[in-house]
Amino acid sequence: MKKAIHYINQFFGQIGGEDKADFEPEIREGAVGPGLLLNNLLSPEAEVSHTIICGDNFMGSNKEEAITRILNYLADKEFDVFIAGPAFMAGRYGVACGEICKAVKGRFNVPVITSMYVENPGVEMFRKEIYIFPGGNGAVTMRIDVPKMATFAKKILSGETISSAENEGYLPRSIRLEAFKEDAVSGADRAVNMLLKKINGEEFKTEMPMPVIDRVPIATPVKDLSQATIALVNSGGIVPLGNPDRIQSASATKWGKYNITDLDRLQAGEWETIHAGFDPSAANSDPNCIVPLDALKSFENEGKIGRVHEYVYSTVGTGTTQAEASRMGAEIAQQLREANVSAVILTST
Amino acid sequence: MANLVSIAKTVGSNRIVPTISIPYPLGDPNTPKEEQWKLRKHRVEVALDALAQNIEEATIFEVKI
Amino acid sequence: MKLEIGNFYVQDIVFGEKTFFQNGVLTINKEEALKVVLEDDNIISADLVIAKKGDPIRITPVKEAVEPRCKVSGGVMFPGVTNKLMPVGKGRTHVLKESCVLAVGEHWGGFQDGLIDMSGPGAKQTIFSELLNICLVANTNEEFERHEQQKKNKALRWAAMRLAEYLGNCVKDLEPEELEVYENPPLDQRSKKVNQLPNVVYVLQLQSQMLESGYNALVYGWDANSMLPTLMNPNELLDGAIVSGSFMPSSSKISTYQHANNATIKRLMKEHGETINFLGVIVSNLNVQLEEKQRSAFFVRQLATSLGAEGAIVSEEGYGNPDSDFILVINELEDAGIKVVGITNECTGRDGKSQSLVDLSEKADAIVSTGNVSQYIQLEPMEVVIGELEALARDGNSGGWDGSVLKEGSIQMENNGIFCADSSSGNHHKTVVEY
Repeated sequence: MKKAIHYINQFFGQIGGEDKADFEPEIREGAVGPGLLLNNLLSPEAEVSHTIICGDNFMGSNKEEAITRILNYLADKEFDVFIAGPAFMAGRYGVACGEICKAVKGRFNVPVITSMYVENPGVEMFRKEIYIFPGGNGAVTMRIDVPKMATFAKKILSGETISSAENEGYLPRSIRLEAFKEDAVSGADRAVNMLLKKINGEEFKTEMPMPVIDRVPIATPVKDLSQATIALVNSGGIVPLGNPDRIQSASATKWGKYNITDLDRLQAGEWETIHAGFDPSAANSDPNCIVPLDALKSFENEGKIGRVHEYVYSTVGTGTTQAEASRMGAEIAQQLREANVSAVILTST
Repeated sequence: MANLVSIAKTVGSNRIVPTISIPYPLGDPNTPKEEQWKLRKHRVEVALDALAQNIEEATIFEVKI
Repeated sequence: MKLEIGNFYVQDIVFGEKTFFQNGVLTINKEEALKVVLEDDNIISADLVIAKKGDPIRITPVKEAVEPRCKVSGGVMFPGVTNKLMPVGKGRTHVLKESCVLAVGEHWGGFQDGLIDMSGPGAKQTIFSELLNICLVANTNEEFERHEQQKKNKALRWAAMRLAEYLGNCVKDLEPEELEVYENPPLDQRSKKVNQLPNVVYVLQLQSQMLESGYNALVYGWDANSMLPTLMNPNELLDGAIVSGSFMPSSSKISTYQHANNATIKRLMKEHGETINFLGVIVSNLNVQLEEKQRSAFFVRQLATSLGAEGAIVSEEGYGNPDSDFILVINELEDAGIKVVGITNECTGRDGKSQSLVDLSEKADAIVSTGNVSQYIQLEPMEVVIGELEALARDGNSGGWDGSVLKEGSIQMENNGIFCADSSSGNHHKTVVEY
């Protein structure tokens, strides 16, 4: 029989209410409180072998300590799934369920499941990392919320493929991947059906909800340009001929830095673009049209800026995911900071 | 410096100077070299001045050439 | 404008003494067919291989797909490209339905080429595994682009069109099993009943980002990069007025086969007179300069508004920077009070966590998603490979990399490299969901 370990707080662990919220984590054999229902629902495929009980305040104020202790309790246990809650609308409990699920998943790589009310702060904090089922806002829905987790746990334990958030009922984790429309409804039919609804003022559902637009804090202005070090960065794939770092021409995961200390411009034939997303002929015949080293150098000579930073940084921005781009951007920014660069001109293509 | 200023804005850039195209942001190969140079120098200068300017919100800076 | 499409359903394809169609079987005289291919002396070797639905076959590098057809009356095939320039979209066209000519590199692939599995889990990625494919496997003397990542693939793509027409000609004088009739009266000659229905246009944004000629989609042979958005009769598209280009990761492309079988146009034609008044197709493009993008978007808006459109479907042939053309057009149309549904794929990364499109708008509130270009795909070895598997790893394929092809023939790749898989023409049932 497969084994589940269940996490609950001091209240559902029948230790006590708010006055016992500092209760230090402990592990017990078998099921406690709502775990009894969970155990019944998991049967006969699985059982609740152990229960962890931890006070919400203890977890809140001593997070590292609580997590370390609980992970140590689990280190010698064999278990196939970890289930926390349901936490309903209890904020500290919801966050605790999220914290411990995330930690257990990270350490033991077992599936983790929890449940809480959609407005529980734990939802926004952990929705992207773990399976959270939307639950009621109070313990009266226990008999609705626990079965949702149990059914899903059994599905995972049986090795069945997990489908979309909408189908399974867990809260969307912002992971968008391919699927095939049931009944093989073509894109054309979906589009026309959606348009007919939209025109007729009926409710329709987009297949691609628009994410919230990013906001980045505005950098303070450069105080004195004539003392400033300006760096050149580009996503147009400008590299020394031969692409020494083998940066990918599309879907790039690498960036390169190239010394330009003694150069007044980037010479055609010595520099090239390896970007596969556009016609490269213009940039190959004059790489300065993407990396304006010639213009920036002339401002250095005129004294408008202090100096041009000694390296140009390059990567390729076609098919490059936003996540990879963010990582590369952060890595490049870190180097520029360490080199005391005052400001950057980033050319994108 | 970007041609697709709306994308630049979408990804959170705050100081944006328009360029003229995707494959050749700062110099149209169909124009004489001197013109390309003038355009490039002008737009880089706009970018430098933008870096030294205080702004309250994401701003697309005007270019003359 | 009235177009009759006569369908002949192909159930099997064999080679024989003569090219003819009888009882659902297409027999091909290979020697004669290859003569048509070799009319272009840039082609230095060529063979035909059949790949059927369910066969243990992997095909790559696939450069183009064309449906075998012929014009019986009222025009020519691929006007301005392989035949003289004249209008199409009227008269009679005969089609060898369920069959398809694929242009396949004997050795060399590139950024824009694709892969098709005829069976197994990879087959469901693309509609081309559902067809009876006549693979034209050839090599050319196009040395100037042999080692280029971006290839025009001209000799092979043109040969595929000639071969498709040669095969189609064998049903020119036969009676089709089925006749589809597409009729579009001029806007001022439509019945009161039709005129009272909501007016809808279809906007097709063709791939046209390359500055050099030879890579972009062609409209009556004209490079889509050099055009302004224009109004076309749906029949013209269904009759071969648009020929696919050779730029963009393969899964985001619309092949010539799909242009002539554009499922969105066909469905809109079906709805015409029932639920909508279909006004026509605004053929637009995807550009690399902001001003070009804006100009095209303004033209699309102006055409749609002048026509009195109340609804529009917009298909984007590509992803990445074309997302900005897509969003611009949606914004313009919505600002003009026209309700829009967009069809596009997305780029969410292998982990699915990245932003779907590079440009966003709250007005794009009705999108049909047709795939994730960076979906990671692992496929077991296939008994037969048509073409050259190594091309996926060696030749800069947009969905492949060094190490994509493992020793025993299994592969790992991104959906980018699956042939015309994401079909923004709406031909496939693939989508993207949130997990």
